[in-house]
Amino acid sequence: MNVTRQNIDDLVLLTIVDKDANLSKSENFKEIVFKEIESGTRKLIISFEHVEYLDSSFLGALVSILKSLVPKKGKLILIELNNDITNLFELTRLDKIFDLRNSLETALEEFK
Amino acid sequence: MNRIILLVDDDIFQLRLFEKLLTSNGYHCKIALSVDEAETILQSEIPDLIVSDFEMPGKDGFEFRRRLLKEDAFKNIPFLFLTSINDKDNVQQGLDLKAIDYIAKNTPPSHILSKIDNLLQAVREHYERSLSEVKGIAERLNLRNIPLKAPTLNKFKIEYFNQTFQNQPGGDFIDFIKINDRYTFIILGDVMGKKWGAWFFSFSFISYIRSAIRLCVFDENYSLSEILNKLNRVIFVDELLSDIFSTLSIVLLDDELGTIKYAGAGDLPVLKFEAGESELKYYRSDGILLGFSDKGDYTEMDIPINSGEEIYMISDGMIDFEINGEKKSNINLFKEKLFNFKNTKETVQNIKNRLFDKHISQVDDCSIIIINKL
Repeated sequence: MNVTRQNIDDLVLLTIVDKDANLSKSENFKEIVFKEIESGTRKLIISFEHVEYLDSSFLGALVSILKSLVPKKGKLILIELNNDITNLFELTRLDKIFDLRNSLETALEEFK
Repeated sequence: MNRIILLVDDDIFQLRLFEKLLTSNGYHCKIALSVDEAETILQSEIPDLIVSDFEMPGKDGFEFRRRLLKEDAFKNIPFLFLTSINDKDNVQQGLDLKAIDYIAKNTPPSHILSKIDNLLQAVREHYERSLSEVKGIAERLNLRNIPLKAPTLNKFKIEYFNQTFQNQPGGDFIDFIKINDRYTFIILGDVMGKKWGAWFFSFSFISYIRSAIRLCVFDENYSLSEILNKLNRVIFVDELLSDIFSTLSIVLLDDELGTIKYAGAGDLPVLKFEAGESELKYYRSDGILLGFSDKGDYTEMDIPINSGEEIYMISDGMIDFEINGEKKSNINLFKEKLFNFKNTKETVQNIKNRLFDKHISQVDDCSIIIINKL
């Protein structure tokens, strides 16, 4: 899984570089993010700027990441999801559990 | 579907020759001039076969092979060594690293092609045999996540279809629980994930759902919201399922009154066809995925239905499409298509055939349950 990592003050921005976020990448992605959480990261932004399609395996990985972060008082914001993916989150009520933002700027505002 | 072959060689001329040979014979090639490039490609795509040179500057083919063998995701990809050095030591070293075979660069193209065709065919046959054995065992143990038939009712006709993805079992599950002559529960769930992993866990969810329904019904409790809330609480505390999530649509048919109740957890909306309307109607549940939080706050709703009308319960595979190589999730496309079939009075069998048309690229397993009010 191609993911770039950037520190912005005390938060970490992970950008998924692949355009398909699917089964073959979901486990690897989960490992990458769980390592972040284990190393103490509690403020996390994941950017979907390059992602065109996201399958249910990858959605499951995201839910699993959020579920592990919540009891640790962490916060996860997903940014720059395309219309299809945003619709999928809304259709399946995942928008009730995930914090979705349009841009990095609005996500950073939320962390202030 | 084109098989993908990853070709790794520092000689661009050789790479292009191989690429031309393979692509003109139906394969899709990814090319890498070094091990580092190959590993970058592997991060985004798993090929059906890797063909790699022995000798390359930097990391050589042997080191590449050793690195792949350490990674669970890559170690089982069939691997062929390609070499111009036809010496026994190199060949033996390659075979010791569990490479399936080697190809000398001066091999005639037709032989290379036959070797690759035969190899991939053998891998496929081996896989089909293993799949068939596991399916046979599951059948003997009566492990089914899609039932053999739907119950027959007086006021409703139930039909259902499921199509696996790449001929492998998946996370979609369907169940019918006929309590008595009056009440029948209809279940459609989708364990997040694909193929075997999701298939395996679907049985845990089916067992929990059956238990939750039976326990509530023993107390004369037919409330879908209470069933879902209880079910969610149990799944939430089950450590084995702490990392596994499932959507669920649950419908209760009252065959005496001819009514329908519905509740859902992270599922796609139930759709309804009404004669005279210009599109399918939506019924959206409000519950979140089973097992995410101990408080699911599931509520139920009545779906009014008249004779001749139909409701559709669908899994997410039904709304995923691959168009011109691009994957999309689009419920509106699916709604339009289904509405047009109904409006032109296609039979259920025709609708099924056209929805599961093999020419429409499928990207996940998909299921639909059609409930028609008689």
